[in-house]
Amino acid sequence: MKDFLLRLRRSDDTARLPHAWLGALGGIALLALSLIFVIGGLRLGVGSPRRLGTGAFPVLTGFALGALSVAVIAMDLRDTSDAERPDWISFAAIGAALAVFAVTVERVGLVPSVLLTVFTASLPDPSLRLTGKLLLGLVVALGCWGLFIGILDLPFRAFKGF
Amino acid sequence: MDILTGFGHGLMVAMQPENLLYCFIGVFLGTFIGVLPGIGSMAAISMILPLTFYLEPTSALVMIAGVYYGAEYGGSIASILMNIPGTPSSSITCIDGYPMAREGRAGIALFTSAIASFGGGMIGMVVMAVLAPGLAALALNFGPTEYFAVILLGLVAASAVSNGSPIKGIAMVVAGLMLGTIGVDITTGAERFTMGVPELRDGVSLVIVAMGLFGVGELIVSIRANASGAHQTDIDYKKFYPSRAECKAIFGPILRGGAIGSFFGALPGTGQTVASAVAYAVEKKVSRNRDMFGKGAIEGVAVPESANNSATQTAFIPTLTLGVPGSASMALVIGALMIHGIVPGPRLLVDHADLFWGLVASFLIGNLLLLVLNIPLIGLWVRLLQIPYRYMYPTIIVLICMGIYSLNNNVFDIWLTLIFGYAGYLMRLFRFEPAPLLIGFVLGPMMEEQLRRAMLLSRGDATVFLTRPISGTLIIVTILLLVYSIVSALRAKARSRAALRVS
Amino acid sequence: MKSRLLTALTLSASLLASTAAYADAGAWSDAPVRIVVTFPPGGTSDLIARILAQYLESEYGQRAVVDNRPGAGGTVAADYVAQQAPDGTTLILGNNAPFTIAPTQFESLPYDPLTSFTHIAYLGASTPALFVQPSMGITTLDQFIERANAEGITYGSSGVGSITHILGQAVDQALGIETIHVPYQGSAPAIQDFRAGVLESYYDMLAQNRDLITEGETLPIALASPTRSPLFPEIPTFRELGYDVVVENWTGLSGPAGMDPAMVETIHDTIEEIMGMQPVIDQLAQWGITHTVMTSDEFTGFVGTTIEVWRPLIEAANVNGN
Repeated sequence: MKDFLLRLRRSDDTARLPHAWLGALGGIALLALSLIFVIGGLRLGVGSPRRLGTGAFPVLTGFALGALSVAVIAMDLRDTSDAERPDWISFAAIGAALAVFAVTVERVGLVPSVLLTVFTASLPDPSLRLTGKLLLGLVVALGCWGLFIGILDLPFRAFKGF
Repeated sequence: MDILTGFGHGLMVAMQPENLLYCFIGVFLGTFIGVLPGIGSMAAISMILPLTFYLEPTSALVMIAGVYYGAEYGGSIASILMNIPGTPSSSITCIDGYPMAREGRAGIALFTSAIASFGGGMIGMVVMAVLAPGLAALALNFGPTEYFAVILLGLVAASAVSNGSPIKGIAMVVAGLMLGTIGVDITTGAERFTMGVPELRDGVSLVIVAMGLFGVGELIVSIRANASGAHQTDIDYKKFYPSRAECKAIFGPILRGGAIGSFFGALPGTGQTVASAVAYAVEKKVSRNRDMFGKGAIEGVAVPESANNSATQTAFIPTLTLGVPGSASMALVIGALMIHGIVPGPRLLVDHADLFWGLVASFLIGNLLLLVLNIPLIGLWVRLLQIPYRYMYPTIIVLICMGIYSLNNNVFDIWLTLIFGYAGYLMRLFRFEPAPLLIGFVLGPMMEEQLRRAMLLSRGDATVFLTRPISGTLIIVTILLLVYSIVSALRAKARSRAALRVS
Repeated sequence: MKSRLLTALTLSASLLASTAAYADAGAWSDAPVRIVVTFPPGGTSDLIARILAQYLESEYGQRAVVDNRPGAGGTVAADYVAQQAPDGTTLILGNNAPFTIAPTQFESLPYDPLTSFTHIAYLGASTPALFVQPSMGITTLDQFIERANAEGITYGSSGVGSITHILGQAVDQALGIETIHVPYQGSAPAIQDFRAGVLESYYDMLAQNRDLITEGETLPIALASPTRSPLFPEIPTFRELGYDVVVENWTGLSGPAGMDPAMVETIHDTIEEIMGMQPVIDQLAQWGITHTVMTSDEFTGFVGTTIEVWRPLIEAANVNGN
């Protein structure tokens, strides 16, 4: 597992977005977003100058963003510099950590939830052993208990359903 | 009351041992809370609110104010060390503070931020002492047209915050404006782009956008960067304090930042985030060192810190004299006064002169305390960077989760942060910057609200924006600024083309 | 001074170390009670909850914390409370927004304002009034109607679907006029625009405008309460002027459905005792809130009736923009 992770990391070390149009994906996404707001805004109604409708502002900004994103796409297509290489493992792990917190915090309480969150977040790091990850989770969980419930008195429950 | 006698009297009030103690508790708690990502001054103030029931109103106000500006300062620490804005307004500090930390100049950046906060705080205090009645009167002349004009000016300035391509900067500002329309339209009550999710009715919280785009997005980037050892830069303990040249370099920015900050702070609603963004944009235009902005320019740390701290002080002007809270934290200040039967309003300066001057003087003491408290701590903060990142980042993720969850005690906010975090990471990959988006997002709803209200009140007559003197002037200034930046951009292009031809 | 310093220190110490209090008579739960507030911290509603929490702990040893869950007109908080166990540890400081306005305002609600809750104790209500620019030369409701018919008039409310918007709608209907509604986010910005001279009238709670009225900055011309206010006895009510407009801004304490009747009674009685304490009475009077005693059943009936009475007004106000 550890070897696999290390290999995955090395393999994308020199990665570059292969095509210019991939680099323009950002602009394309913006264009799509602006279209959603323009169409949605038109559907909501733009109203009259005296009583501007619910959709007026989204349509206005949507058109402006659409025009700008076309310019961005044109610019990105000409851009030939190296792109930052994506790190999909960390991407997945951080997302999973947030998801774990969201799913567990109200169900099992703060302490177990934080332990699981820390554990999930630290999964992609091969330099920390499994026990180390659990230990780190435990330390952070106890720290959160003391800080947020003990000192700050935030309305969390430390344990729930045990 | 004469300003000097008033201030002298206020100093006596603020120097009473109990007020000193509360001031200390306030700034200490504020700094501590401000460092935690996502938990801003609001959480800290609502925590101490019940305690203030038992205090004299002046002590209560002094303590709350201490928390407020303490948190503003604390927010910059996390921005500089980890690129995670402790409070939304310190996201501008990230732009230059974090690069400085990566170069091993974290100590200098923190020191600069402490000094600039102090300087800004002092400017804010002087403005409040001298101009409070005047600024209150000015704010009273601000109707929807004037607010619209100010916001327009702020947006034009914000698009200049970006370091990369100016087109992408403007696109991000506009995208921010657009995303700000998510939620219930406050003018008609219709839902917009909420997809039927009740939590989206009130729009996406600013803290979520800031934490997602900056905090989570940055974490994903830095995990690998630190695994390969890029983060553990050697810290040169000799380079702890700014050199004489650096001290000189930050003097002007502190003054300009403080002046701009005190103006925006006095306008309810625009607040510290706008103050620091506009101050940064202005500095980037006027500074001789402008090419270094975004790459670790010391001025780029000094200016937003000075601006947001002075805005923090002057934000008390509309709160106390008009009863209009510019932010949720300021609403708490009004609440704390209401408990004591003090109604903020025009009479406060006369009826409760003690309270007002005591507060003003406590700014001096509180900011001094902050400085004394924090300069010795800089070494400790810098050492925090030497904790291996594999221990740090899972902890940071938990802190972000806790901060976000405690906003509304709602799990949905965590999912939203996840979405914005992913968006933030992808934006980084495609070289879009989050700062202009954030400013557009803050200002968008206000801009729309004021625009539509102005049209409603003028019964559909758009010329009010030009015929009302304050808004007319502001709009002309905005247009001049826009023309100036376009012309100078074109000139720079022509120059570089000419240089190419020569070579 | 020394002793005050000492009190401060003990207070901060007790704030930092969570106090383990023993339950006295009047307390109903060993676990801390969470009072959910539908607004962010700082408003009157939040302060009432904090006062209650304070007295519950100091007088009855009942630990209580305030839990702010603002959003979507209070429906986020109400939905949350409806889903909690009915063991008395989660209560909501309810008001018009989630209980009597939302059921009509929103097409679907995740809860039912009557069957999903146990309405425990009614706390009180404050009185809204119609305010106009003193410079316009309008001093009576008849002149207001005249002006509205001749040139139209703008009025500010504290938001779409807010109590003051509903009131504006009710007044329009009763008076047979059509005014231009300008929604704000809360009353403070509306008053700011009013003082900047761009807004012609607004509706807001009477007590919160005390200073502006005495300074002559604003002019209240009619109250929406059943009787005149002791604060300004010279201001007439809509009702005595011949227009039946009564819209009050009430607050009450409720819990999830299915609470044990004995516990409901304990909570009700404890809260009533707190509401009868002099410092609490004085504080609420400051904010213009008048307390009325209602039993749990009366309170439930009140919520049900108010929903129906307001339904046509809310529908007429077109608060969901359709």
